[in-house]
This record gives sequence, C-alpha cells and structure tokens, in this order.
Amino acid sequence: MRHVRDLSRREFLVRAGGTAAAIPTMSAILDACSKPGASTSGSSAFEIATPDHPVTLPMNGEPIAADTPIEQGATLQILNWAVYMWKYVLNQFVQQYGDDGIKFSGVTTFNNMDEGVQKLASGKIKADVFFPTIDVLGKLVAADLLQPLNHDLIPALQQDNWAAFQSPYYDQGWRYSVPYTIYTTGIGYRRDQIPDDVIHGMDNPWSLLWDPTYKGKVGVYPSYRDVMAIALMKNGITDLNTGKDADLETVRTDLLAMIDAVDPRIAYDASYNKLQNDKFSVTTAWSGDVVAGWEYTSPATQAAYEGFGYWFPEDRKGPIDNDLIAIPKSAEHPRLAHEFINFWLSFRHAMDNFSWNGYQPPQTQANVDALTKTEGLYSKRSSSWAAPAMYVAPWMPDAAVREGDFAIGYREGPLPADVDDHWHQIWSEFTAGVGS
Amino acid sequence: MSGPSEAKPARRRRHRSGGATEEGVLYPRWFWPSFTLPASLWLAILFVLPLYTVISIAFGTVDQIFRNPLPVYEPWWWSGEQFGKVLDDSFGLYRHVYVHTFEYVVIASALCLALAYTVAYYVARFGGRRKTLLLALLIAPFFISYLMRMLAWINLLDTDGYVNKMLTFLHVVPQPIDWLSGRPSTVVMGLIYGYIPYMVLPLYAFLDRIDANLLEAGRDLGAGPARTFFRVTLPLSRPGILAALVIVSLPMFGDYYTNNLLSQSPRTTMLGNLIDEAYGSTGQGPRAAVFVIILMTLLLIPMFYYLRSTARSLETR
Repeated sequence: MRHVRDLSRREFLVRAGGTAAAIPTMSAILDACSKPGASTSGSSAFEIATPDHPVTLPMNGEPIAADTPIEQGATLQILNWAVYMWKYVLNQFVQQYGDDGIKFSGVTTFNNMDEGVQKLASGKIKADVFFPTIDVLGKLVAADLLQPLNHDLIPALQQDNWAAFQSPYYDQGWRYSVPYTIYTTGIGYRRDQIPDDVIHGMDNPWSLLWDPTYKGKVGVYPSYRDVMAIALMKNGITDLNTGKDADLETVRTDLLAMIDAVDPRIAYDASYNKLQNDKFSVTTAWSGDVVAGWEYTSPATQAAYEGFGYWFPEDRKGPIDNDLIAIPKSAEHPRLAHEFINFWLSFRHAMDNFSWNGYQPPQTQANVDALTKTEGLYSKRSSSWAAPAMYVAPWMPDAAVREGDFAIGYREGPLPADVDDHWHQIWSEFTAGVGS
Repeated sequence: MSGPSEAKPARRRRHRSGGATEEGVLYPRWFWPSFTLPASLWLAILFVLPLYTVISIAFGTVDQIFRNPLPVYEPWWWSGEQFGKVLDDSFGLYRHVYVHTFEYVVIASALCLALAYTVAYYVARFGGRRKTLLLALLIAPFFISYLMRMLAWINLLDTDGYVNKMLTFLHVVPQPIDWLSGRPSTVVMGLIYGYIPYMVLPLYAFLDRIDANLLEAGRDLGAGPARTFFRVTLPLSRPGILAALVIVSLPMFGDYYTNNLLSQSPRTTMLGNLIDEAYGSTGQGPRAAVFVIILMTLLLIPMFYYLRSTARSLETR
C-alpha cells in the first residue's frame, strides 16, 4: 500500500511564513482588560536579526550542567508540527535509551507556529523539545520561553553539521537553537513540458510563473513570504525583507499581473503532488517538496518520477532558509532533551529522517555527489516503490542544498510590524484577485 | 354548561397575571420563564460573549511580540482605525469579492431551491409508505462531512474523472472540461451540492404539513394541477421556502473551503476566503474580526427580511 502523508510539512512552511491563531489566549484577554496594547508576553523588546545584523540572544539563566544525569524513566514530550519526523527514527531513539527506561509520549502537534507558541506559553504542555522557526526565535527568548543549550551535551552539531550553523545570524553562538532542516525556494517544473536545457538557458527562469503558455497550470504556495520573495527575485531585488515602498509596489504590480497572465492556483500541494501528477506545469517549490515528490507520483514508476524537476539559480543566489530545534524553559527533562537533539543531529539519524521527509539536514557528509548517488533508507523500506530513490534525484542536483548557499543565498527573516502589514496587504490583494 | 365555559377565562386570567397554572396546579411566577435559562446561558456563553470578543478584537490591537490579537473590552479604549480601513477596502479594493460572493450565493441558493423543492414535493406528496426511506436517503449526505464530500468532487471533476469520462462518452463534450481550473460555475456547483440537504429537510417539513383537503378543494373548485400548485401549494409553502433559503444562504456567505478545494483561483475568492486569509496571518487578527462583523451585518438584512415575513405570515393566520 502506498504511503500517503498529509499536508503538515507544507502547512509548516506556509504557516511559518506568518500565521496567527486569532483566538486570543486567556492571558491576552486578561491583559486586555487592564491596559490596551500591552501584554505580559509582549513587554520585552527584542532585536530583529538579519544576515547583515546578526543577533546574540540574551542569556535567560544558565544551561543545565554537563553532568546532569539523564532523567530515568522519563517520558519525552515533543511539541512539533504533525508528521514532521519519521516515527521509525523516533523509535530508534527510544530503543537507544531503553536502559534508562525512556518512553516516548508521542508528539503533541500544532498547525501553525502561533498555535505552537501559545501551547508552549500556556504552560499546559511541558514540552522537552520544541521546533520553532527563525522568525519567532527572538520573540521566544524575549518572552523567556526557551532555555540556553549546553554545547557539551550536543557534540553532534560540531562533529556532523556545517560550520555555518555554529553561529547563525539569528542566534550567534547557537545559544538557544540548533538547525533541523534546510531548504531553498525555487521553481518546480514538468520536464516533459519545459526541458531542463530550456529552463537553464533562460535569462530569468523566475518569469516562468508569469508565462501565459502555462495559463491554468501554474501553482503557487499559500505563503506570502515565499511567493512575494519570488516576485522580488524576478525583478532582481534580493532584499527579501524589503520594506521599501517602491519594491513592494513592484511586487504588487507583478502579482496582480500574474493573475491576468496565468490565472494561478494557490495550493499547499503545488510542488509535491500537483506537479508530480501533471496538474501543474510550473510551481513555486521548496527543495524539500520536490525531493520528496517521488512518494507522490502516480503511477509510482521511475518514468513518472523523472517527469518533474527543480530549478534554483545556478550561482546559488536565491531564497534559502532553515528550521530549528530548541528546548523550552519549562522542559521537565532537559538533559534528555539535549540527548534527543544530539541524536537527531547525528549523521545517520538525520539522513534517515531526510529520506522520509525530503528536507535536508545540514550534514557535512551530505554533499551533492553523495546525495544524488545514495539511496535513502525510506526508499529501501518502501514496499510500494521498486526503484531506488536517491536522497536527491540525480537529474535535479539544484535541489541539494550546499553549505556555501548560506553565505550567498538570501534569507527571509522576521519583518518589523509595519512592514509585515504592508506585505500582508499586498498578499491579500493577490489572493482576492484584485483587478482581475 | 356553565362549568367549562367559565373555567377557560379563569385559566387565562391567572396565566396573564403570572400565577402560572396548568390544570389547576399553581406554579411560582419564575417557573415557566426558567425554562429559557439553559438556552439563555448557552446563547450568552457561546454567542454573546464570543461576539463581543470578536468586536473587541476588531477594535483592539495585537500583542507586541507575537502579534496575536489582543482584544480590548473597554469601548472607551477602542480604536476604529482598522475598522475604517477594512471598510474602505470593502467598498474599494475588495468590492468585487463581495459581488462574487453575492452572485455565487444567490445563484447557488436559487438552484438549490429549484432542485430541493421538487424532491421535497415528491416525498411529501407522493412518498406514501416510502416516506421514511426517502427521508433517510435525503439525510444520508449528512453522515459524510462537508469536507469529504468536496474532496470527492475533486476526483469526480478531474480532467480524467468520472464526470468528464461520462460527458465525453456520451459525446456531450468533445474534450474533457477542466472543471477545477478556477471556474465560478464549479464553485457554485460545489455550494449547491454541499448545502442542498439543508434545504430539502425544511421544505419537506412544510410541504408535508399542507393539508391535502386544501389541494382537493382547489381541484374541486376547478383548478388544474398547475393552478392548484401555484395558487395553493406554493403560497402555503412560502414560509418554508424562506426558512430554507435562510438556512442555506447564511452559511454559504461565510463559506471558504468550497472555493479553496474546487477552485484555488484568486478570481473566485469569496468573502469567507478573505476572513480565512486574514485569520491565518500574523498580526491580521483585527482585520479578520472586522470582516466577520461586516459579514454579520450584511447577513442581518436577509435575516430581518425572514423574520418580518414570518411575523406577517403569523399575523395573517
């Protein structure tokens, strides 16, 4: 039977771009009764990190001591996006720590980042491990919801992972976070309709999303940051956090022009389902979606698999980002949480998980050559897939993320409130089909 | 002779005076009104309070860090800035969305009515001993969630789905139609399919209660079947039609997932989609709340019309 995943990973990236559960928390309600515009969770200032303005997050207390014993008989609590980690690898962790009587409670899930933050802030869930996004990391620290990490207990970060993540711009000195997955944002396309050499020979492949040839067959994510970032890239604007009126007006004009030109569909599964099944010819695409696309081809054949491709700028100057793992301040088993993070950052386990969810970990051994020539564990164990699926399909090496990409790629960071509102306004006009 | 005729006015007087009696038993003044307490509490907790919270969010602000909605409950602190902006946009940028929504709902409701009325009429008038079975069949779609029914339509309407296969097999169309390519007609069809069960039941309930003697009287007086229908059945079922229209059109106005699932095109965005989009966006909670208030206000118009019509209809009886 073919394994079918739900949309959680897609929702994750979409919602990470910015979502809010509009239901106010009880604390927010009580705050509102006392003084409008102020809240206990919003009273601390925080710096907005950008690659040009790296931020060292303030220390909220000290990390746990390195000789803290592993909590015996503990039940690990994970607060995470649904279907974000392969259960097989989670079970491996429990087995490895079986002598300590470690149990696994299952994953408490959330549908968007704000819901996750609210669950964490409410204190109802004493999560040991939490998976925040870069844009909320500084906020979580400002709200004193995370605890600093003890680096001695997480040697795998330095042993197995890229040096770029020893001191990322959003968390200098990785005080609170480690990387989980990395991805680029590019163009997914049908290779039978747009041959590889054609798209690679184009002056501006971003413009494919505006090409009337593919009218009705263009898909974009319901993710304002990513789609607007692509509109910026199309126009040669590389500040993906721009607040300039002129830049944003260009984006607005282009997005509204896209409606007239190609009548795009806004779909979560644009690049991991509809592209694979020939519903779309060209889509916005996260590299991880396209990498995992082999699981969604119908029929599940090599020929169908080879039907889709991924384009990212040859000079690797394009949108790039990563997700995080952190330990909440309220964690009841912080030592076990450190063990878990270390386990997850180690090469074998990180790669096994990658073979399942398609999103690459920043592992030093995971170079393009190895990724496109090595079959992943999930493919080996998949009963519905006869042909070996490499970690990354050999014909789309663009989908493999390189360490150097993080030095030259363009990051989507948190936006100041007024700029974010401006972005949302433009996105809202696009989704409402203004002028169409 | 005098006993019963005197007893009736006596009971009425006591009832009016609040003495609350039934069959000669005396009840305290609060007894009968207290029956409304559960429903009143229900409304207060699950309607009035949430509604006030929505209003407080619309006129409120957002959390400084996470930008979650921060309702402001004291009206003297309210800010109308967001409300004014969204209102401006509603008459400007988003006017076409309101027009789309209105068009889709009116067309879908009208077609729902045409389809549902005939079915309900058949069951009520000619169902005979199979009425129960037919009713069960009518209710059957309720057992499947709306979402699942819409997902099923995606497969049915696909270019290689059964609808296109049938249409091409019967040579109705030479090529498969791309129903899922952002067509307003597909959205309307989805709305009809999704909401029609909600229309059949109230219509059936009204039609079934029409006294068959009235129809017979119409025929006895020389009216043909068509005339009897238009002069007797249709006017008598008017309250049912209005109720059914209200039941289906109100949720249709706020519907967003029919469009999300069957179209996904910005060209067919409905008002519910605007709310959904704002609701799911960081810092846009107040905006979503304003859209909700605008929608509710607009829905008051058909609601008041329905209430007024119902009241008039009761007065004329």
